[in-house]
Amino acid sequence: MQKALELLNLKLIHKMKKILIVVLLTFSATSCVVVKEYDKVYLNDDEMVLSAKSMEQFETNFQIYREAAAGANGGKSGGGCGCN
Amino acid sequence: MRIAWFISFLIIGFNAHGQGTSYKKRVLETTEIDALFSYYGQEGSNAAVTGGEGSEELTDVTSSLIVRLPMNEDDILTLDIGISAYSSASSSNVNPLDGNPRDRVSPYIASSGASQSDQLVHINPSYQHSSDDRNSIWNAKAYVSSEYDYTSVGFGGGYTQLFHEKNTEVSANANVYFDRWNPQYPIELRSGFFDDRISGPGVYTPNFTELDNVNRNSYSVSLGFSQILSKRLQGSIFLDAVLQNGLLSTPFQRVYFADANDFFIEDFQLADDIERLPDSRFKLPIGGRLNYFLNDTFVIRSYYRFYSDTWGIQAHTASVELPIKLSNSFTVYPTYRFYSQTAADYFNEKETALSIQNFYTSDYDLSAFQAHQYGLGLRYKDIFTNAKLLSFGLKTVDFRFSNYARSDGLDSFIFTLGTTFVR
Repeated sequence: MQKALELLNLKLIHKMKKILIVVLLTFSATSCVVVKEYDKVYLNDDEMVLSAKSMEQFETNFQIYREAAAGANGGKSGGGCGCN
Repeated sequence: MRIAWFISFLIIGFNAHGQGTSYKKRVLETTEIDALFSYYGQEGSNAAVTGGEGSEELTDVTSSLIVRLPMNEDDILTLDIGISAYSSASSSNVNPLDGNPRDRVSPYIASSGASQSDQLVHINPSYQHSSDDRNSIWNAKAYVSSEYDYTSVGFGGGYTQLFHEKNTEVSANANVYFDRWNPQYPIELRSGFFDDRISGPGVYTPNFTELDNVNRNSYSVSLGFSQILSKRLQGSIFLDAVLQNGLLSTPFQRVYFADANDFFIEDFQLADDIERLPDSRFKLPIGGRLNYFLNDTFVIRSYYRFYSDTWGIQAHTASVELPIKLSNSFTVYPTYRFYSQTAADYFNEKETALSIQNFYTSDYDLSAFQAHQYGLGLRYKDIFTNAKLLSFGLKTVDFRFSNYARSDGLDSFIFTLGTTFVR
């Protein structure tokens, strides 16, 4: 655990915090809007799903191998393969 | 055949189990099966196996079966089983000497030995439970995969809570993977290697020591937040924190030093060492999605991710997909994805690393580059599932093609075919 903490790049964490706060504020500013179940016909459309579709898993797989970045998209973010 | 019998048994057995008297709407009404297939091909000239120069030609065929079984009104069991078979010019050059004796030994020519191809098999079961009011969801999952030189065992779990009449969703997931390499070193670095065709100044005596740790452990925590923003707009953000330690380099990737003599067998340069990378890495990706239902014809799906890690890599990913509903059954969806990354602190082009460095790699996947990916998909959906296969109705057929071009010259394409059957 000590080793993990040593790895944390404080500057990076600070930067990520800023991004997170801006996004959260944006979302919470509009979150007072409550859409009722019977008004969610558009939101429940298959194309509106807020995650990668199962069809995309193979593309995500090759991207994990060919690129250094991974994660934050519902796929694997580390481990499980001999990839980057 | 045995796997097919096993799956049939599970489907029949669990369906029978789930057919009790019920007054709740089921989380999943019927058994669903996704059958997925993909064909991937790539070419390039910066193979990491041959120290940053050499053929990256590779083909991969993958098929996967995902079965979702409603266990009762609240629970879903999912089984994801897949096999991936690849053939690779660069991995064939772990041993470039076991190919056709009439071919010259070269990093640009694939060898035909055992390392030319491999298969990756995975099984990924998961279980999900929803509360009576459907406002909280638990899940647990496991993962096992195996290929010739790499095995992985993982498990994880998560919790999702919905608020504000299901307008807001917060989730937390944790996963651990315990992976293990079976290191395959370049042939010339293995003990007892001898070849009378070696040319170069003096005697080839690389300063190589075998790896003493072959395990790789990964620990990740993922946080998610989704919000309905209007009747047509919703978005989400995800934050992952991933800590990896152990053997994070690839044992068969060569490195050529600037301060070492060069030795060859015909056109093939012999390794000075394998890549060496730190034994820990902390990754921090944050991503967001924003989807907008423009009208009955157009939907806009967008995604952005910022990534940073302790190896000095920062990356941006942005993608957009535009589903166009041509009719109730057909949707066509063009896609575009942009990716950009900076180089890892330890990346060196061929013959630029120094032997006194602690860490070095010539893997261009860790270099600075940009990539553009263009794609087009076509989806057919039959809500009445009129077409039947055995007792399953065909719900969707999805075909997708993408072309990927990297600024360092690597080009690839992927075809994906997906079908969903329901019972």
